[in-house]
Amino acid sequence: MEENRRASFSFNLEKQIPLLFVLPCLIVLLAVSVFPFLYSLWLSFSKWELGMGQRSPTFAWFSNYARLFSDDRFWGSMENMAEVLVFGVGAQLLIGLGVALLLNRPFRGRSWITTLFLLPMMICPVVVGCNWKMIYHYSYGPLNHILGLIGVEGGLNWLGSSDLALPSIIIADTWEWMPFVMIVLLAGLQSIPVELYEAAKVDGASRWQVFWYITLPSLKTIIIIVVLIRLMDTFKLFDLVTLLTQGGPASASETISYFNYLTGFKFFNMGYAAALAYIQLAIIIIIASVFLRFLKKEEGG
Amino acid sequence: MENRRSKTRRLFRPNDYVVIFAFVVIAILLIVFLSPIFWMVSTAFKDKGEYFTYPPVYLPKKLDFSHFFRGLKLGGAKGIQDTLIVAAATTALSMVIGSLAAYSLARFRIGGKHFAFWILSIRMMPPVASVLPLFLFYRFLKILDTYEALIITYTIFNIPFAVWMLKGFFEELPVELEEAALVDGCGRLRAFYKIALPLIAPGLVATALFCFMFSWNEFFFALILTRSNVTPVTVVIAGMIGGHEILWAEISAVAAMASIPIIVLAIFLQRYLVRGLTLGAVKG
Repeated sequence: MEENRRASFSFNLEKQIPLLFVLPCLIVLLAVSVFPFLYSLWLSFSKWELGMGQRSPTFAWFSNYARLFSDDRFWGSMENMAEVLVFGVGAQLLIGLGVALLLNRPFRGRSWITTLFLLPMMICPVVVGCNWKMIYHYSYGPLNHILGLIGVEGGLNWLGSSDLALPSIIIADTWEWMPFVMIVLLAGLQSIPVELYEAAKVDGASRWQVFWYITLPSLKTIIIIVVLIRLMDTFKLFDLVTLLTQGGPASASETISYFNYLTGFKFFNMGYAAALAYIQLAIIIIIASVFLRFLKKEEGG
Repeated sequence: MENRRSKTRRLFRPNDYVVIFAFVVIAILLIVFLSPIFWMVSTAFKDKGEYFTYPPVYLPKKLDFSHFFRGLKLGGAKGIQDTLIVAAATTALSMVIGSLAAYSLARFRIGGKHFAFWILSIRMMPPVASVLPLFLFYRFLKILDTYEALIITYTIFNIPFAVWMLKGFFEELPVELEEAALVDGCGRLRAFYKIALPLIAPGLVATALFCFMFSWNEFFFALILTRSNVTPVTVVIAGMIGGHEILWAEISAVAAMASIPIIVLAIFLQRYLVRGLTLGAVKG
């Protein structure tokens, strides 16, 4: 009898194992991520200016979202974001593809050289920021010194002028993340079957034709994935902005995530900050679904 | 003369020029890409007079290690210690919770495809969207500026990563081994930790190192959720730059010390780098 009950108990437990195994994960994610997300969704419809001494939120319909449309600073930060997305991710893709193609041939020391190219990505992002801060320094930085040697007199005010602050961030970001694009594309290049190249060689295709008709189409899926990942990461761009320019001068290099940070944690306008966060979330979801549709089409066809 | 010429022609076929050109380009790019790192390392050894001068000094006159000790004293040691505690705890938690969930998802497809994607979507959330509610939540619990706050936060974002990575590794594992054990009367739990886990050991190590790396490098949450009690090294470095007098040598020394462990880990992980950083989307 005793034996029997124990058996049936352990049998039931055994049956529940799939659920029991995911339970801790489910609890953690529900408790500390879904609940706060719902709370901040509610907050985005509320007025809560902690910075003005307002102690608790009051419901305010769509006023935060309405404010977004007339907020020049918000649109400015979106414009900056778009610039980083287009030029930064664009440069990373072009240089990354170039380096990946160069490294995609067997030669001695290739794995070492690949590792060396990866170093910028392996460094902690805050360290990257502090490093470029030194390099860009107007009077003592090596960059202006080198520019002086090749004839650019007086040096450029990289971080201090409103024309160059954002490009400076883009350059540093490209330096940091080109290696990521490069290594992913290199993995993609190496998975292209050799037979394709051999067939092209037999047909007498030129280098350019091989690249255009074999390499690039084979890389399509991987390029879509890598660009999507970089776009989503660039939306989070915060470390470099904080360390290099703090959004300045004025708000010339303010990205959306930095503006959001200021709204929430410098001006303590919690309701507006929550609305800003949700707008970003919406944009990210839209971008991701567009890319995933592309991806499905590629894989289907 | 004629003879020599044909010899050189034989040595350098048209194809070789392309190869030489490729090598020159690689060399130039490598110099450009590595010079910022060189600058950091050389600044760490510079004397005060050497980093505030024009023209800038590229190579310090002597290897002065004193900045490393001064940097550690100026908050670097506390920073590295705090980062280490948070990263280690986060990694352990995410691996335990993540591996169980990943096993269930891989073997029983619990919740179907949607559940797996829901877990993934949590990682895709922009941090600014989650930091505000988390901040208010921790303020309510009175755990702002503690290890717990950072450990919980990083664990939330590392669990989806660990689940997706490990799910991939479990799926590559043939089911037959575990099934044989189950037939022999071994329970699921035992089959999981006696058979499945040891077999994906390299995957476990890689995933754990990634979790460690992400927590080590994190800055955004660390900046907002801590003040003076807990000071992760990334916050310490950023604070030193914002200070009144910028001690570049000390900053570079701390920066180098904060980067070296991660560089070593990443080199160690190179085989899994592509897979880890694309969340398994590209197997590499």
